[in-house]
Amino acid sequence: MSTPRTLALRAVWLLAFAPGALAAQDHRLTERLDAATAEGVQRVVDSAHAEGLPTEPLVQKALEGKTMGATSGRIQSAVDALFGRLAEARAALGRDASETELTAGAGALRAGLDAGSLRQLHALRSDEPLTVPIAVLTDLVAEGVPPDQATRAVLDLARNGRSDAEFMALRKRVQTERRRGASADAGPVVRPAAPPAADPPGSP
Amino acid sequence: MREPLVLSTQRDSPIPSSVTDPSHGSPPAARLSQERVERGLFKVSDRDAVLVARTLDGDLGAFACLMARYRDSFGHYAFHMLGNREDAQEVMQDSFLRAYAALRRCRQPDRFGAWLFRIVVNRCRTVRRRLHRDWRLGADLPDNVPAAGDAAAALEWREEIARALARLRPRYREAFLLRYVRGLEYREMADLTGANEPTLRMRVKRAADRLRELLQDVHDG
Amino acid sequence: MDERHEEAQDRLLGDIVAELRRPVPLDPSVDSRVLAAIRERGAGRRRWIAGTGAAALAAGIVLALVLGPWPSTAGGARQVQLRLAAPASHVAVVGDFNDWDPAATPLRPTSNPGIWTVELRLKPGRYHYSFLLDGRRWVRDPVQPPAAESDFGTPMSVLTVS
Repeated sequence: MSTPRTLALRAVWLLAFAPGALAAQDHRLTERLDAATAEGVQRVVDSAHAEGLPTEPLVQKALEGKTMGATSGRIQSAVDALFGRLAEARAALGRDASETELTAGAGALRAGLDAGSLRQLHALRSDEPLTVPIAVLTDLVAEGVPPDQATRAVLDLARNGRSDAEFMALRKRVQTERRRGASADAGPVVRPAAPPAADPPGSP
Repeated sequence: MREPLVLSTQRDSPIPSSVTDPSHGSPPAARLSQERVERGLFKVSDRDAVLVARTLDGDLGAFACLMARYRDSFGHYAFHMLGNREDAQEVMQDSFLRAYAALRRCRQPDRFGAWLFRIVVNRCRTVRRRLHRDWRLGADLPDNVPAAGDAAAALEWREEIARALARLRPRYREAFLLRYVRGLEYREMADLTGANEPTLRMRVKRAADRLRELLQDVHDG
Repeated sequence: MDERHEEAQDRLLGDIVAELRRPVPLDPSVDSRVLAAIRERGAGRRRWIAGTGAAALAAGIVLALVLGPWPSTAGGARQVQLRLAAPASHVAVVGDFNDWDPAATPLRPTSNPGIWTVELRLKPGRYHYSFLLDGRRWVRDPVQPPAAESDFGTPMSVLTVS
C-alpha cells in the first residue's frame, strides 16, 4: 500500500539514484536565492549534469554571489561563465579529466591562463592527475608571476615527470621569495630546483 | 531458521599466463564456500536474493550478511583505487548505506553484488583522495605478508606498486583494476563506467604500459 | 628478441597483477557502524514523521533526513587551522566549505589580543574563502595565495588541502 509518505520517499530515492535523471533540485539554491535566480542557476546545474561536468562549483558560485550581495543578473552571469570555463577546461584536458581537474582548470582560465597551457600540461602528463600542477600554475600567476614564466616553470616540471610534491615545493619557494620582497619577475625565483640525483626514500 | 553466513569468493579473472594459481590469495573461508557451491548445497546467487528480500522485510541481520559477504571483496577494489584503508573503509560504509537506502530499486536481487559494486565504483570516483601519501613502511599491508627472508623486498615491491598506481590518472587506474584485478569483461566495464569499449581498452593498455614503465627497474633489481 | 621482451613484459604485468590480487581485509567494524547508522536513522525518521503532518513531506526536507549527511569517518579529511590578526569584535570565515554562510564558522579569540583562530576539517581539494570582520568588512587571508579570480569584487584567498 502506497501512502503519501512512501510515495514521497520513493520520489526522493528516484531523484538520488536514477541514472541519467536531472540533477536533483538543490535545496540550497531555493532556500538562499529568490525563485527566479534559483531557477536560472538550477537550469545551468542541470545542463552541467547532463554534460557530465561538475555541478557543485556552480552551486557554490551562486551562493558566493548571494553572500556578497551581488544582483541576480551578476550571479547568473558568473554561474554561466563558470559553466563555460568548465566546458572549455574539459576540451583542453580531455574527457578523462576528473571533477577536481576540471574545477582547477576553470580556475586557471579565470586567472587569465589560456587553454593552450592546459592542453600542453595534459599532453606532458596525460597519465597522471593534473589537479596539483594546474593549482600551482594558477597560484603562481595569482602571486604575480607573469603567466608565460609560470607556464614555462610548470611545464618544465611536467616534462621531467616530477611529482605533485615538487610542484607544491615550487609554489612554496615563490611564495617565500615574494614575502621576502623579491620581484616576481626575477628568474631564479621561478626556475625549478635542479632535479635530485635520485628520489629520496619514502617520497611519493 | 536462519541460514548460515556464506562468504563469496573473488571470481576467476583473465590474468596473464604467468600467474597460474587462480585462487592465489583467497581466504580459506571463501574457498570453503566455493566447495559448497560446487557440491550443489546452495547457489550463491540465490543467497543474495533471499538476503535482499529479508532486508526489505526489516531484517537487519540479513543486511549484515550481505555486508560481510562483499565488504572485503569490494573493499579490495576501493583500497587499490584510493590507495589507503581509511578511504576504502569510508567508501564501503557510504556504499552500504546508499545500497540500503535504495534497496527497493535493486531490480535483480540475485545480482545484488553487481548492483552494489556499481555504487562502490561511483563512490570511488567522487571521494577525494589524499594527494600526499603517508609512506610509513607497512602502513597499509594486507595481513598475509610472505615468509621472512624476502620480507623486505616484498614490502618494497608492494609499496612501489602502490606508488605507481597512485601516479595513474584515476580513469586509467579504474579501468586497469576492473579488467585485471576484478576480471571484468569489457562489456561489463562499459556498463559500469559509461565509457565505450574502445576507450576502456585504450585506458587499460595505457595503464598497463605506464605501470610496466614505472615498475620495470624495481622488478628487475 | 622481440618475443623474449614480450614475455618479460607479460611476466612483469603478471607479477604486478598477482600482487594486486592479494586480499586486503578491511576493518569489520565498518559493518557495525553502518548498522548503527541505519538504526539511528530509522528511529529518527519514525519520530519525525509521527510529529509532523503529511503536508510537511516536501522532497527537500525528506531528502535531507533520509540521505544525508550520513555519519562520516575521519578518513580523508584533514585538520586545517586558520589564524587571522584583525582588530574586530567578531570574525567569521566564509567559503566553499560552508556554503558561503557567514553564520556557519565563526573564529574564536585567542589569548593574544587581536588574534583569531578556527579549526576546519577539510577533504583534499581547493577552497575559496574570505574573512568577514564585524559582519561588514571582507579581508583575505594574508597567509594563503590570493584567489586569481574574484567574481564579485571581494578579497578572496585559496586554500589547497592535500
